[in-house]
Amino acid sequence: MEKYNTFKQEGNILIHTRILDAPRDLVWEVWTTPEHIKEWWGPDGFSLTIKSMNVEPGKTWDSIMHGWGRDFDSKVEYLEVKKPSLLSYKHFGESEDYDFTVSVLFEEVEGKTLQTMKSVFKSKEIIEDLNRRFNVIEAGRQTLNRLENYLKISVEK
Amino acid sequence: MAPTRDIFQAIADPTRRQIIGMLARKSLNVNAIAKEFDITRQAVSLHVQFLNDCGLIVIKQQGRERYCEAKLERLKEVTDWVDQYRNYWDNKFDSLQNYLAKIQNKKK
Repeated sequence: MEKYNTFKQEGNILIHTRILDAPRDLVWEVWTTPEHIKEWWGPDGFSLTIKSMNVEPGKTWDSIMHGWGRDFDSKVEYLEVKKPSLLSYKHFGESEDYDFTVSVLFEEVEGKTLQTMKSVFKSKEIIEDLNRRFNVIEAGRQTLNRLENYLKISVEK
Repeated sequence: MAPTRDIFQAIADPTRRQIIGMLARKSLNVNAIAKEFDITRQAVSLHVQFLNDCGLIVIKQQGRERYCEAKLERLKEVTDWVDQYRNYWDNKFDSLQNYLAKIQNKKK
């Protein structure tokens, strides 16, 4: 089954596949109902408040993620809703350039569900930009950590 | 010496990507690289200099020749955010699988 778990980049698209040990109808349900999705969605250690969730083309899912002592708004607009095989939505980024669309395909394979998630960004350059900025943020964070440790050591002396 | 240019500028250009590809297989001097392209040796030399500035290649003097060698560690920068994205979803799909197992057990 491991062969079904893959990840690759094709230009501006990131593709993630995963085999899930559950019937397709159930997988569909946990993706599309608020009481289920809040049990697994979002970063670890975060909680989720769902303001509204309307799984229909053109309708939205509005929520707030709580974590790291902060609130993060999250909004997606559903594009295609074809129960139980295809769900696609647009994820709103910090600006229009950073919006991306995600399609999740559910297929029945040997009694399990093969889930293929495709995230389509505006361009390959956007992905590269995110890579670069992430790196800058990470580098900045590490520098701050080092400064913090250094200050601690200095104070202890 | 710290690289003075952005690695993303380095890989934005198709000629430079091709040069990186050639050097990844083996070290070459500028003349040997230039032979593979229709552009002038001077133009190739500028691309090589650019890659050098980015820290993607190093130029080593060997006798009268200057050899270009690929240093691909810096290309790793390009994969960082994508790795993060991948890890995030790998982790989420684990959570999803665990949750699915939990609710299926309840139903039994």
